[in-house]
Amino acid sequence: MKVNEINFWTKVPFSKDLWMMVILTILVGALIVFGLSKAPSQARRPIIWILTFLSGAFFVLYQYWPKAINFDKNTQLPNGGIEKVADFLNDSNSIVGTIAQVLAAFMLGLGIFSILKIHGTRIAKRQRDWAFSVVLIVSLLLMVFLGYGDFHIREATKTIDFDNPEKWGAINMGRDFLFEGLLQQMDAAMFSIIAFFILSAAYRAFRARSVEATILLGTALLVIFSLMGGIAYLWDTKFIDEHFAKPGVTHDLIQNLKLAEISKWIRGTFQTPAITGIKFGIGLGTLSMAVRIWLGLEKGGK
Amino acid sequence: MKIKTIPKYTVYLLLVLAASIPLFFDIKMPNKPVDSSAATFKSLMTLEKGDTVLLGTDWTGSTRGESKAELIAILRILMRKEVKFAMWSSADAQSPRCAQDVITEVNAMMKKEGSREYKQWEDWVQAGFYPNSDVAINNVGQDVKKMFSPKRGTDSTGKLRSVMESPVLEKIQKIEDFKLVIDVTASKTSDFHVQFISSHKVPMIFAVTGVMVPETDVYYNSGQIAGFLGGLKGVYDVEVMMDKGLNVPDKDGKIEVASTKVTDQIAGFPGKDNTGSGSKYYPTLHFALALMIVLVVIGNVEMAMARKGAKNS
Amino acid sequence: MPKDDLTFMESLWRNHRIPFGSQYWEQGWFGMLFTFIFVAFILLNIKRAGAGKSLFIRRIPGLNAIDEAVGRATEMGKPILMVPGLSDPVNAIAVQAINICSYVTKTAAKFSNPIIMCAYSASMYTLAQEVIRDVYQAEGVPERFDPDSVRFISDRQFAFAAGVSGIIHREQTAATFFLGEFYAESLIFAETANSIGAIQVASSTEATQTPFFIAACDYVLIGDEFYAASAYLTREPVLVGSLVGQDWSKMFAIACILCGVVSQSIFSFTHSRRVEDIVNSAGGDKDKIKAGLAQLKKDEAHQFVVSKFFRQVDPPEDLKVDREKKPAAEKSPEVGIVNK
Repeated sequence: MKVNEINFWTKVPFSKDLWMMVILTILVGALIVFGLSKAPSQARRPIIWILTFLSGAFFVLYQYWPKAINFDKNTQLPNGGIEKVADFLNDSNSIVGTIAQVLAAFMLGLGIFSILKIHGTRIAKRQRDWAFSVVLIVSLLLMVFLGYGDFHIREATKTIDFDNPEKWGAINMGRDFLFEGLLQQMDAAMFSIIAFFILSAAYRAFRARSVEATILLGTALLVIFSLMGGIAYLWDTKFIDEHFAKPGVTHDLIQNLKLAEISKWIRGTFQTPAITGIKFGIGLGTLSMAVRIWLGLEKGGK
Repeated sequence: MKIKTIPKYTVYLLLVLAASIPLFFDIKMPNKPVDSSAATFKSLMTLEKGDTVLLGTDWTGSTRGESKAELIAILRILMRKEVKFAMWSSADAQSPRCAQDVITEVNAMMKKEGSREYKQWEDWVQAGFYPNSDVAINNVGQDVKKMFSPKRGTDSTGKLRSVMESPVLEKIQKIEDFKLVIDVTASKTSDFHVQFISSHKVPMIFAVTGVMVPETDVYYNSGQIAGFLGGLKGVYDVEVMMDKGLNVPDKDGKIEVASTKVTDQIAGFPGKDNTGSGSKYYPTLHFALALMIVLVVIGNVEMAMARKGAKNS
Repeated sequence: MPKDDLTFMESLWRNHRIPFGSQYWEQGWFGMLFTFIFVAFILLNIKRAGAGKSLFIRRIPGLNAIDEAVGRATEMGKPILMVPGLSDPVNAIAVQAINICSYVTKTAAKFSNPIIMCAYSASMYTLAQEVIRDVYQAEGVPERFDPDSVRFISDRQFAFAAGVSGIIHREQTAATFFLGEFYAESLIFAETANSIGAIQVASSTEATQTPFFIAACDYVLIGDEFYAASAYLTREPVLVGSLVGQDWSKMFAIACILCGVVSQSIFSFTHSRRVEDIVNSAGGDKDKIKAGLAQLKKDEAHQFVVSKFFRQVDPPEDLKVDREKKPAAEKSPEVGIVNK
């Protein structure tokens, strides 16, 4: 870490300041957890709201606080209070952004506990398909063991080029087999199942049941045809270009009847505005939800 | 009204046949590149030797059918034009590994065609994986130097140094110093790139999966990105343009691959082997789509017959 | 740079050193104003609804189907499956999804119907467990809450898809609710549930996945209907008010778009007329055309166009701001890193 990168959030590694901050953070954290566990349930909601408000306020400030103009952090010092605050917010952004991840990492323990409890009970009670639960728990433990082992070896011996499989040991190979050999392939297999489902869903759902459904069906077929090079070639080149198009004319009514142009028109005129509209609605919904959560107005849908 | 239907497993079997039989034959499909692919090709081909691009790879094994093919096509162009690139990921911890395997594969292709192999540190660097896509992409937009500085790589003498000191990134101070920002993605990182990077003065292109084409079209039509490759069709488009060029007339003055959107004449890499997954799998996509159309037609005929039967009874 | 060429913001900056932020350069402030207007609309309508003003919400069939789906599951004696999306970490979408799920749970709790809730992330699992427990307590039947009904499956997309599909098959769920952020796995869920004949209510905030749900599910909430759900189901003034606020914001946005269309059309029309004039008056002299077009570009830079308000402009790079120089680091630049 370069000395000039030291700021409120970062301290020189192994320095007194850093240890002080670590101890202080643990103490404050423990105090908050203790306070929350002892607080009556009615008092918890305002405490949680205050924390939510402060977290939200940081990002609102980060976004809206005036950012220094043409500021080079490596050679210049911020000018006046406004720029100093902007500089502090800029330094803090990446740190504050990772707090949610730290919290999520703590919660992962609870998630794993849930998996072990549900599948452990199934194995203990010899419930239906309990053998699959054994496979799951063994895979989980094996992946943790080999994953950590591999990480540890890579971190401890950084001079070895681990991109070269010839330099791998048994643990590296084991992790590679589980991660690349099994997990990746199973991921790909699950994803490829979608092709089958798309086909069966299209066969079942693309029916001309009503006027609207017929328009949808026709539009979909035109777009699919435009994606099929063979069909597009037959229609656009062999039919339109060779029989109807005027030589040298690239923009006229006949050209607009080409599948490529029709598809472009459908996508540009209907699809793009529709998606933009939907996205805009969702964006506004998210904004409204965020404002309610931030200001403590959201009470849950009970 | 009872509609008689083809059993589900017969439909699945038909798809297996439609998707696998074309793989045994060398079928050349005619193709006209879509505007977005032509614009992407132009962005890549206007890069010059020694330029540096930021290459985001945010895909994993699940979408490799499309994403890996797209990355191979892009890397072939970058390597043939001797453009340096810094690779980074923010969507999935698996992504850097997947992308690095592709670089090894493309290097082997380059070696086979007699081109120079790309060396890590000198020609490309792995700038790392950063969890929390939105925060990471925002940080790259704000201060790319600060973001990538802690990531270290092995230099040519075997020392570990910050990737920002590598020949690839030594001249990069801010995001605008890259000649092009590319994101090969199967996730939401394309949205975050538009949100946090499109406001900077740096051209940006995406390579997305087929399903993501409609929403990426929105960004392309609004001019927030310079172009994009959409799924297998996008890959085939690029491979065809690499082979035949764009708007390039042949000996008879006939232009085989033309675009109305991109009017520049861009030569590809004629004489080199430009075939890839696009050329291999596009016929498969073609037959699978044909099967879908046939099934949709059959489904509608079945429904019409059932309606007629219900009326008669 | 000659003084006349300075934009309004630049002259302000150079002459008065007003500390506007770089994000507010030129028209950048309009983005902030736009957001403030939206937020003001939402808060104003929350206040209106709180004051007892009756606000109308149109019928949403997908939400009316919730009771039907729960009723059917009760008749069949089979569980209800809920998946509140693949948000990681928990975000506003996830909170909304859990809100709708808590309403479904409330209805299920009344009929003692078993539920299964599958969480994609550990944080979602923790939140969902707390919310669902609260629902049973609020309904006065805490003993009916089964802690194992809320399950963490996996935070890998397709492992999660495989896990949930397995549960749908094994438990033969009668009703399924897929609400929130869904990606490629949406069709896997929907087709699996369809294959066992479950009644399905679904919604994805990802526009590209909505068609898959429409193809395979019985009821689909499209776009912001997902956010309207809580207001529609509970009729709570805060929620109804913010929903109306969203509608006002949409109207405002539509008005801006219309103004933009008119202003851009006028701009394009006058632009093409002036280009035509320049070309005609130049009489084929290329230099004259070039000079005319350059002048036109200069003139147009100051012309009023609505779309300018939505285009962020960065401060010019040559604008130097006097700041104190940073003192050089006294110690060695690299500290604390030990290479092994």
